[in-house]
Amino acid sequence: MSRRSRASGGSVLRLPSARIAVVILAAILLLAFFGSALAPQNPLGIDSNALFEGPSKAHWLGTDYLGRDVLSRLMAGTRLSVLTALEAVGIGLVVGAPLGVATVFLGRTFDFIANRVADALMTLPSIFFAVAVTAALGNGLVQAMFPVGILFIPNFFRLTRAATLDLARAQYVEAAELLGGSKLHVIRVHVVRKVFPTIAVATATACGAALLSVSFLTFLGIGVQPPTPTWGGVLSSDLNYLNLAPWAPFIPGALIAVTVGALNALADAYRDKTGPGTLLLPEADPVSKTHATLEAADARQPAA
Amino acid sequence: MAVIELTNAAGAVAPRRRRARVAAARVGGGIGVLLPILLLSSFITYSLGALSNSNPAATILGQDAATPAAVAHLNHVLGLDKPLLVQYWDWLSQAVQGNLGTSYFTQIPVSVSISQRLPVDLSIAILAVILAVILGGTAGTVAAVRRGGWFDRGLTVVCSAVSTLPAFVVGIILVVVFAVGAHLLPANQYVAPAQGLGPWLAHIILPALALALQLAADIARQLRTSLVGVLEQNYITGARVRGLPYRRVLIRHALRNASGPALVILGNDFPIMLAGAVAAEAVFSLPGLGQLLLNAAQSRDIPVVQGLLLVVSTFVVVVNLVVNTVLAFLYRSSEGAGT
Repeated sequence: MSRRSRASGGSVLRLPSARIAVVILAAILLLAFFGSALAPQNPLGIDSNALFEGPSKAHWLGTDYLGRDVLSRLMAGTRLSVLTALEAVGIGLVVGAPLGVATVFLGRTFDFIANRVADALMTLPSIFFAVAVTAALGNGLVQAMFPVGILFIPNFFRLTRAATLDLARAQYVEAAELLGGSKLHVIRVHVVRKVFPTIAVATATACGAALLSVSFLTFLGIGVQPPTPTWGGVLSSDLNYLNLAPWAPFIPGALIAVTVGALNALADAYRDKTGPGTLLLPEADPVSKTHATLEAADARQPAA
Repeated sequence: MAVIELTNAAGAVAPRRRRARVAAARVGGGIGVLLPILLLSSFITYSLGALSNSNPAATILGQDAATPAAVAHLNHVLGLDKPLLVQYWDWLSQAVQGNLGTSYFTQIPVSVSISQRLPVDLSIAILAVILAVILGGTAGTVAAVRRGGWFDRGLTVVCSAVSTLPAFVVGIILVVVFAVGAHLLPANQYVAPAQGLGPWLAHIILPALALALQLAADIARQLRTSLVGVLEQNYITGARVRGLPYRRVLIRHALRNASGPALVILGNDFPIMLAGAVAAEAVFSLPGLGQLLLNAAQSRDIPVVQGLLLVVSTFVVVVNLVVNTVLAFLYRSSEGAGT
């Protein structure tokens, strides 16, 4: 198994789209850690002689309404955007995925309760919930992305549970149990390793969604004080001066789109390479995206 | 299989009554499942207030008047000194009767501010869904019919590009192109439909389009996939061989059976559209629920926040129930047509 997964990991990188995606994501990660240090100019430095300048040698991506260097602001803003996105995905992954595996083996009562809690969480739209939580916990990006992470939990939970359910019924799992493998051994060796690719793809997709959430929240002005640069913040400040600099919003917009696109492309490449059938994903089977209430309703009254 | 056909045949004696009974049972079962879910999500919503370490009584009274006695009195009046579960029950039993409390700051009833602003988001969301169905449905159908053609390949590229663009970025692009560049349409403000349908439509078409694009891409992609599958089925060939016109076969036989997954996406996304309208509101500075939520969050106006979340999550649940019921009917009737 481990040899095969290494082989499939290698072949994913043979796809050109995956390679480009990895390069883009590596650059973004680099910016997340060293963005402020690498920025060519002070991201907060105001220059009243250079307002709304287009791209030039001094300012590669132009300047904003206070004459601040847009490139430097975007580079310095990467850390907060990326780290808080990872915070949300981390919460969803760490809570949701283990629960999804565990619920299959912990009996029907636990499964029922976990599913109903997931149902309830899925009724809360993430941006609404995030803004509402900042009203309770205080206005900070870390606080705002915490509820977004909570709302990722049902996604990870559902996907992992579905994949685990499939595997738990597989004959080789039964065989391993009959051969005397302990429950924990069977779960660890025969189930978790097989569920892993599903979780990996879900994580990449969730990272993209989380980045969009961060950008939107910072765009709304949630979580950060004005001079602090963020991707969404740069975008929203451009919005007030569309008459003077109509091209300005396209730069942060393109940065967000390219990053999210790279994450989606990586997930797609991995999904294609691992092949349909081995992965249980919403895109592969849109009907599984149906709200669980339908499944529950169906379970209560069998069709026909 | 044979057994199922037999029971179907037996039940066909009174098809209308049977269908009505099935529908009632399905809706009833759905409500039975949904009520506990709503109860749980409303409890999560209500506990937000308890989570907050803010002291509403002190805020309302202001710094000078906030003596401990006055704060304690106001807390008693607001019911904030009771246990959380009792507070929740009081709030919920009031909410069911349409009373969501009053804002701490403006003293306006929460239900009044919500019902004032809901039309803005509902118009945007509904128009967005209509646009998405038209755009996505047409694009998906054309791509499936002309599979492998230039339109099909172009659609794949456009769809994956659109899926990386959040609604607020699309909105900004639309503003730049249509309002700043071409001066064709207004870029802000909202006009109620009572003041004329034309101006109303002109003010919401751009926000709705911004919101619709993502959904349209999802629908187009899904419809293309399922339609390609259905068009390869024998019964489509059969219908053509029997001499039915292609258009009729496509619409009555293929599209009807292929639309299920796309409808599922629509049903899942429509409630989110209401929340997504927040994005459109922010870009086009419209006075909708999102603006209300943002203001309330900034001033920590907990009753407004709780009321909004309750309304939106109830909306999500109810729309899901409706969509699931409609879907169940579609599949049932197509099954009946097939056998």
